Amino acid sequence: MIEFVLDARSKVNTYVQLIQQVKQALRVGLLVPGDQLPKVRDVAQSLAINPNTVLKAYRELEIEGLVEGRPGVGTFVRRTLGGPPVADQAELRADLVAWLGRARAAGLSPEDVIALVETTLRATLAAEAVRTQPASAG
Amino acid sequence: MIWLTWRQHRRQALFTLVALLALAALMIPTGLMMRASYADKGLAECLRVLNAVQPDPGRAGPCSRALNQFADQFNSMSLLGVLFLVLPLIVGLFWGAPLVAREVEQGTHRFAWTQGIGRRQWALVKFGFVAVVAVLVAVVYGLGMSWWVAPLTGAAQQNRFDVFFFDMQGVTPIGYTLFAVALGICAGVYWPRMMPAMAVTLGGFIGLRILLTVLARPHYLPLETRAIPIEGTIGEPGGASGDWIIDKGIRDAGGTMVLPGAQAACGAESARPAGGRCPPLEEFGEGAYNWQLFQPADRFWLFQGIESGIFVALAAVLLYLAVRRIRRVA
Amino acid sequence: MDVALETEQLGKRYGKRWALQDCSLRLPTGRIVGLVGPNGAGKSTLLHLAVGLLRPDAGEVRLFGRSPYDNPAVLPDIGFVAQDTPLYRDFTAAELVQLGGRMNRRWDAALARERLAQLGIPPKLPVGRLSGGQRAQVALALALAKRPRLLLLDEPVASLDPLARREFLQSLMGSVTDSGTTVLLSSHLLADLERTCDHLVVLHSSRVRLAGAVDDLVDAHRQLVGPRHIGEPIAGVGTVVRARHTDRQSTLLARIDGVVDPEWTVHDVTLEDVILGYLADGETTVTRTDWEVPA
Repeated sequence: MIEFVLDARSKVNTYVQLIQQVKQALRVGLLVPGDQLPKVRDVAQSLAINPNTVLKAYRELEIEGLVEGRPGVGTFVRRTLGGPPVADQAELRADLVAWLGRARAAGLSPEDVIALVETTLRATLAAEAVRTQPASAG
Repeated sequence: MIWLTWRQHRRQALFTLVALLALAALMIPTGLMMRASYADKGLAECLRVLNAVQPDPGRAGPCSRALNQFADQFNSMSLLGVLFLVLPLIVGLFWGAPLVAREVEQGTHRFAWTQGIGRRQWALVKFGFVAVVAVLVAVVYGLGMSWWVAPLTGAAQQNRFDVFFFDMQGVTPIGYTLFAVALGICAGVYWPRMMPAMAVTLGGFIGLRILLTVLARPHYLPLETRAIPIEGTIGEPGGASGDWIIDKGIRDAGGTMVLPGAQAACGAESARPAGGRCPPLEEFGEGAYNWQLFQPADRFWLFQGIESGIFVALAAVLLYLAVRRIRRVA
Repeated sequence: MDVALETEQLGKRYGKRWALQDCSLRLPTGRIVGLVGPNGAGKSTLLHLAVGLLRPDAGEVRLFGRSPYDNPAVLPDIGFVAQDTPLYRDFTAAELVQLGGRMNRRWDAALARERLAQLGIPPKLPVGRLSGGQRAQVALALALAKRPRLLLLDEPVASLDPLARREFLQSLMGSVTDSGTTVLLSSHLLADLERTCDHLVVLHSSRVRLAGAVDDLVDAHRQLVGPRHIGEPIAGVGTVVRARHTDRQSTLLARIDGVVDPEWTVHDVTLEDVILGYLADGETTVTRTDWEVPA
């Protein structure tokens, strides 16, 4: 069983924070298939948050196929959330190190690098979203 | 609901009981003392002697002395009687006025009136409970007071109709108490704050009591008049009858008022100069007589009933208004 | 969608001053509704109208389809905790539970005792001698013991210290999960509302400024930063809730209805931003001349 914590200062929506924490726990192996998530009532009470928020987070996880609700019993983990194989990660990491070298040579400070990565990531994701939207609508 | 009323007011009830017991502790011994002294001195017999048409001079002297003695000894007790006059008011101030006002002032009406019981039912039970308790208390002290005050009224040759004496015995205290409580409750509903409610109760009670006592009470029933001849009357004319004399005067033979507010008697024949005529008749002329406007003594209980009835009726009206108004209290 | 509380053009006047005006709302069942606004905005008035303590001076209020004023039939459906949690202070908590049993046909005394025992409330002490937080918990337990369909709480945590406030909201959220009760909760503590409410009503100066589901409200609003703007319409912007200007830049809180003109930088907003935007909008303005100081 895991315990949720909330970052009150975060601008991230409460239910998103709950989802992120479950996913994080799945990634690091804290939660494995068959484990039960905390009961909605307990989460609502201990965090003093709206039970509908907890329900919404669990529903979202269910839609993603990560957990399943068993009526009257609780919500259970269905599958784990592993990243891509470690070998692929190593390859990507090597590319990134090489790129970072070029960035340093071009005179970018670490802050510049982070800003560049963040804006690029956001722009790329937004562009992808625009590209996929008409397809799903049609 | 009755449980709530009892639980909420049991401390008040206890205080009232303690106060009544304290009063009883004071009144019963003094009452017994007065009665013993009254009997020892043979005052009952004395009064008969003194009030006779032709008092026996030999017995009148000692009797007057005995009466004076008794009066000297116990007259300060009448002050205690005044305490009883304000008892209904106290009940109205501390039982009636806070009933709704305190609830609103402390905000607990928002708790009580959002439970499962409508506030009208709440009001009916509470008002009823308090009114019944007030009446019970009033019966106890009304009867107690009648018992206690009897020797005092007798010895002082007080008329039972006199202000204070009329008001503190018989059934009137019940009417006053019920009225005071109803006035307090109603004031609390219309001005749901403790201080205004109590002020209205105080002013309303005293004002109405004075108004009725002074202006209305003498006229509850048509007044009667009578003429008492001056010749042959000794002492206060009609003094022993116990009638309530509202107005008096001396009129001449033609019926014209010659001396308002006064009465005359000839006095003992022996005191006059030989062959002298009755002095007042010399002054006012032959045929002059004492004139009285009065309520007969046997109307005492009728008047008690009328007075209490008025106050009970007023109390009923006030309670009705309070129950009607309660739904408007915010 | 079932409606717990519905008002139409509802108004309440004290003397000449309207404490609540033109209030039209529909609160769905199963929600936790936050009622926000500064002191004196009309929150208590709305709640008192809803539980039948006050008579409307205009319009209508219906609780599960029935008018609550002078109507004891609605009382079993509501649990009400008034501001400052008034209770008979010389009663013990146990006596208050007993009292509830005598004043309500439907009364879950076991539930109340269970809750109070869990919270460690002493049963034999007059509630006047409990702490504010404990007293609020007693009031909540009593309201819940009625098993109401709608629970109305008037500033239940306003006078509590942060720890007691947290504990109160915890037990409220826990019990709401169990019972599925609809809740209408007034507060001026935005952080608490953001966590606990999924529906919101913003009152200001006796009028409803904003009402709706929290997610919809947050989704519908954006903060826009761009060149100084003097009231001309902006593409994609429905209404401007609040605008602040410098000599060359404007910052807007706006309700959007499409893709915003790319000239503007668009930021997501939190619920607190939205609420504050609407409250500031309703603020009565006092000019410098009112204070007799030079502008």
